[in-house]
Amino acid sequence: MALVAVRELRAERRQPDGVVAAVTFIAVLVLLESLVVGPQIARDADVAAALFWLALTFATILATMRSFDRELEDDALEGLVALPGGRDALFGGKVLSLTIVLLLVAVVGGVLSLVLLDLRVALAPHLLVVVLLGVLALPPIVIVDVVLALRLRARAALVPILALPVLVPQLVAATRGTSAALSGDAVGALAWAGLLFAFAVVYTVIGLTIVPAAIE
Amino acid sequence: MTDTIIPRGNALPRIRPWLGIAAAASFVVASVMALFWAPTDAVQGDVYRILYVHVPLAWLAYLAFVVVFLASVGWLWTKRPFFDAVAVASAEIGVLFTGLFLVAGSIWAKPTWGVWWTWEPRLVTTAIMFVMYVGYLLLRGLSTDFSRRATRAAVFGIIAVIDVPIVHLSVLWANSLHQLPTVLRAGGSPALDSSMLLTLMVSLGAYTLIYAYFMTARVSLELARQGRLWTT
Repeated sequence: MALVAVRELRAERRQPDGVVAAVTFIAVLVLLESLVVGPQIARDADVAAALFWLALTFATILATMRSFDRELEDDALEGLVALPGGRDALFGGKVLSLTIVLLLVAVVGGVLSLVLLDLRVALAPHLLVVVLLGVLALPPIVIVDVVLALRLRARAALVPILALPVLVPQLVAATRGTSAALSGDAVGALAWAGLLFAFAVVYTVIGLTIVPAAIE
Repeated sequence: MTDTIIPRGNALPRIRPWLGIAAAASFVVASVMALFWAPTDAVQGDVYRILYVHVPLAWLAYLAFVVVFLASVGWLWTKRPFFDAVAVASAEIGVLFTGLFLVAGSIWAKPTWGVWWTWEPRLVTTAIMFVMYVGYLLLRGLSTDFSRRATRAAVFGIIAVIDVPIVHLSVLWANSLHQLPTVLRAGGSPALDSSMLLTLMVSLGAYTLIYAYFMTARVSLELARQGRLWTT
């Protein structure tokens, strides 16, 4: 698993188009947000949190699809499956590397949101916990859906259609938790963070259980 | 592909006519009971009678997607094409009934809430469930190889069932306009008059028979299609 993760991160460093696409995407959305809804509404904790998580979810889809595209272009998927640990290691390695990439994207997107929207953070440690757990819950389901749509036409449209409805509980929890941390509701932020942790565990277990069947 | 078991003939066509007769008869009885026998609601008047369509449709949506889940597990476990046929049949019927469930809900919402649609948890989670299974059918439609299509769909069918309890329990988790569960209530008996409850139970039985009839027809069709696929 560590081998796959390290290989993935090296590939991302050599050819960082997945990270660049995800960061640019989230930056464009943060910029558009205040233009489209107006700076006053964009500064609202609920709105800012909702748009941040929606943007991060789409960024996850972009980065994950790019990661698998790279494997297909290099005909490397069969080789990865043949590694010790097989499909489980492939899934675990991808989850690990994408989580690290997404944390970077979330930090850039978060800082951009805080600076450009002039957001006040009432509970910074709580916000960090919510973002960390929210990011952990994203890759497992997105990876499974990208694997399901591998080599299919209309894949770019299919992956969001498959992934977003499944991620709704995670998106709601992450948005509410972020909003609570921004507005100073410590109990609310921690409650949502707990739920996010549960989602991260459930999604990872589901991924590890059914990914061997999904990768052919 | 090599370990997939080739389908043989099935017994479904033999029971289908009997199911059809039972479904039609029970539907007539349920409709008569719902329209003429069940008493008028003290608060909502006759408008509430859509309950006898709305609740069975909700039940069938849940049932259909749980069957998709079970059939998906069956396919991944055994690779028997019968399970894939059951999964696709139940998903298609489930999408149909979820669509009708949303339409019936909208028709009921207009006179009682004053709007066709409102952003409340039960409605939104049901609409999400609908989109999720449309995605399931889309995933099937875009895959060409039989075995891969069945496996991809089965994996998604297992993930997607998560939404079924979310839809049912959403009214308990959030303050919403939608009424709380009427029949399946935690720690309590159904919140309905006995004649209303009986009518609802008959409606549930009738709609379940309709589902079973549709399933036998669609599964037979899918098995015949699979048979052609294996012999050509």
